[in-house]
Amino acid sequence: MDISTGATVKSHCVGTTAIVYASDYLNKLTGEKIERECRRQLDSGCRALVIDFSDTQLVNSIGISILLGIIDIAEKSGAQVVFSDVNNQTIQLFDMLGLTRHVALARNEQEALSTLSGFNSTPTVH
Amino acid sequence: MSIADFNGRVLARVPRHDFVGRADELDRIVKHANAQSGRGLLLLMTPSAGCSELLRQAYDRLFNQQSDVIPLYYAFTRHETTAVSAAIEFLQTVLQQYLAFRRKEPALCRAPLTLQDVLELAPSSDLEWIEPLVKMYERIRFSNDNRALVRFCLGAPQRIPARSGKAFVMFDGAQLADDLNGSVILGAELLRVFGRSGQSFVLAGLRRQILDSARAAESNFELLDLLRLEQLNAEEAHSLVDHVALRSKVVLTSEVRDLLVQQFAGSPFFITNFLQAAREKNIALNTYLDCERLYVDELLGGHVNHHFTNLLEEMAPEVEKRVRLIRVIWEAVAGDEKSASIEGWRRRLEVEPAELENILHHLHIQEFVNWTGATIDATTGSQTWKDYLRAAYRLAIKADPRALVVAETIAEALKRAPNTMARHYKQSDRIDLRGVVGAFDCQRVPALLFDYDPFRKTYKGLDDAELQSQLASEANLAKLPQTVHVASCYAFDSATRKAYDEERCVVAHAFEDGIYTDAQQTVWLIAELEAKLEVDIELAKTWFDRLESLARQNDFQRHQVWLISNEGFDEAACEFLRQHAAFCSNKRQLEILIQQIGATSAVQPAPVEAPDEFLMVVPMGEENELLAASAVEQIARRLTFPPQAINQIKTAIVEACINASEHSHSPDRKIYQRFRVESDRLVVTISNRGIVPTNVGSNNAHLSKQESSDATAEDRRGWGLKLIRSLMDEVEFERVDEGTSLRMTKYLRTV
Repeated sequence: MDISTGATVKSHCVGTTAIVYASDYLNKLTGEKIERECRRQLDSGCRALVIDFSDTQLVNSIGISILLGIIDIAEKSGAQVVFSDVNNQTIQLFDMLGLTRHVALARNEQEALSTLSGFNSTPTVH
Repeated sequence: MSIADFNGRVLARVPRHDFVGRADELDRIVKHANAQSGRGLLLLMTPSAGCSELLRQAYDRLFNQQSDVIPLYYAFTRHETTAVSAAIEFLQTVLQQYLAFRRKEPALCRAPLTLQDVLELAPSSDLEWIEPLVKMYERIRFSNDNRALVRFCLGAPQRIPARSGKAFVMFDGAQLADDLNGSVILGAELLRVFGRSGQSFVLAGLRRQILDSARAAESNFELLDLLRLEQLNAEEAHSLVDHVALRSKVVLTSEVRDLLVQQFAGSPFFITNFLQAAREKNIALNTYLDCERLYVDELLGGHVNHHFTNLLEEMAPEVEKRVRLIRVIWEAVAGDEKSASIEGWRRRLEVEPAELENILHHLHIQEFVNWTGATIDATTGSQTWKDYLRAAYRLAIKADPRALVVAETIAEALKRAPNTMARHYKQSDRIDLRGVVGAFDCQRVPALLFDYDPFRKTYKGLDDAELQSQLASEANLAKLPQTVHVASCYAFDSATRKAYDEERCVVAHAFEDGIYTDAQQTVWLIAELEAKLEVDIELAKTWFDRLESLARQNDFQRHQVWLISNEGFDEAACEFLRQHAAFCSNKRQLEILIQQIGATSAVQPAPVEAPDEFLMVVPMGEENELLAASAVEQIARRLTFPPQAINQIKTAIVEACINASEHSHSPDRKIYQRFRVESDRLVVTISNRGIVPTNVGSNNAHLSKQESSDATAEDRRGWGLKLIRSLMDEVEFERVDEGTSLRMTKYLRTV
């Protein structure tokens, strides 16, 4: 397992899946750091992204719009994205802004990895 | 009365500590006096910038200094009708102020003394020059030689014996000197007399008039220093409003203060007169409406009206001609005529060429028009002048009912006020593009500061410290040219004024490597684009084509287009600009460039009225919205809101704070938050100063899931308000003159 904290965003790889950890507050600054890290992981060959929200207490609309940008970037690279460990309030916001229509949610990292292995064996439906 | 009794004030009308701004100018005048260099100082005043109090303050400082510099202050007034009477008045003033200084009795400056009184009050050591002076004056006065009399009176300060000190004369209102009747043109005459006297002096007046007088007198400009007096800057003007309002006991809010400063363009003359009117009418200035009502009163009948009407009466004493003059000027202003013909004006005014010349001269020195000799540009006057003209035109020529003119002028002023403030806030918030480009001087900077795409890929998401350290190792450096001239694009293409914001689109003439040859000469055309997100190819192309067209029109051979936008450019736009060898940067790149080249009822919280009300003010930025969110969490817990509702309130507050920070151009960069606890609800009001957002009043901003995530990137950045409306039970914009005040209510429900 490869662990990195590039640009202050924690991440590690499991095979060709990058797991990127969001911080406690997702806003423009932290969102851009996540975006940067996701781009870096995709450029270095990752085929799927798990963004872990276990530390995330609060998100704002700019942070969410950056997440949508990340989904777009991943889509262009042919990579899957799963959000894991998202709290209920944040799910409500994601739902409100239609984000959940574009991304799979998982209870935790393990479930996210399982979901991704399922994607690899079945066609993706978005 | 002695000096001590006057508490330092002799001629000044306001105490020194109440005299705002102009500190440098005051020092300069006093230094000029003390240097005794024998040079003249021409104080070139922008119309209505106010210099009289500055000169009186200088006088007082010199008077209280009691050195060998004898201050003498004389103001030309409209009451003097001839050069001779003004010269006689000057002589009387010189003698009285000399006596006041010598006897250290300030009251003598204003006492109604005759020449006989002067002789009686003069110290015996001074009688030896004052007595002959008075006798000679009596003789010349009845000699019928006006020029000799004027020269004699103006020469009085030179007769003060050296042992008594050196006279330092300050002439105020010099533009009035040339309007005096008689065979002597006094302005030019006094420049001749004082220019040859070897004494230091100040001649203050309208800048265009003073320079004309100096040329007419064939002054030796090597012996003259110039001091330009512009309107006050915003900070000084704010301070002036505060001081005058306090002194006059006029209540006003900071929004109204800021509006006054912008509306009167920092003019001390108009600001002071306006507040004086508020005092006389006992009007509190709490809202824009209070302010504009009084403004229109002033335009139609108060101090402002009096000022402009007097000036027009001087230009055209006969009523019929004056009415024609108002018509011609207003129609030129309304028609945006920048180069009207002289002959056209002459025909419409029905005057002889000489009279027209006199009228145009006066309009020109007051800067109501720009008169080049061949054409007239009537669009240059201040907004106050134009408002006065329009009202005068409607009343005198169109014969509109006065009530209609008043109502419509108030309405126009009210509609204009938020735009005036928005323009000001945007300007204050903006990087000084001219300053940045003007500082280009062959410095070497990382080349990617001019190329957004690689910058985004390499540096976006890095914090400042990381970015600086990585940039330091950038090997690919670009050498900036040396800029020799920067001007607005508008200056090169006035026909497309609306396309170019004067401060956001500039043309810089420069030389590569600072080598002044044709081959090295280059022109940079730079535009700062307004966009919330990355600029797309269409907008980038529009601006690129616009600047290229400007380059072609002006035959700029070698040129470089550089586009700047807050959030940079999308990939297609970057590709397009790269193909056309144009530069593109985002705001962060520009800020780094600046560092590298070394260029250098507002929403004031009302007092908390209820015990269940909390007030919090946080600076914008630095994630301070989290402080507000944390505070409201504590308050909501006391009301036993469930965790989900607390999170919704917190998110709504964060969004409101972000909106306030991102779009307001707030002058104080603060967010005002009021939390009111009621038995069944929590009411949160988030306010900020700045521009009024365009979506205020829109009630259709609820989210629908279908439209949300499919929205374009630009729309996504407008999610904040929609989110707030979805998270809170009631959301309402409160009416404020400027900025935003958003009230959000969450009801307590059993879950």
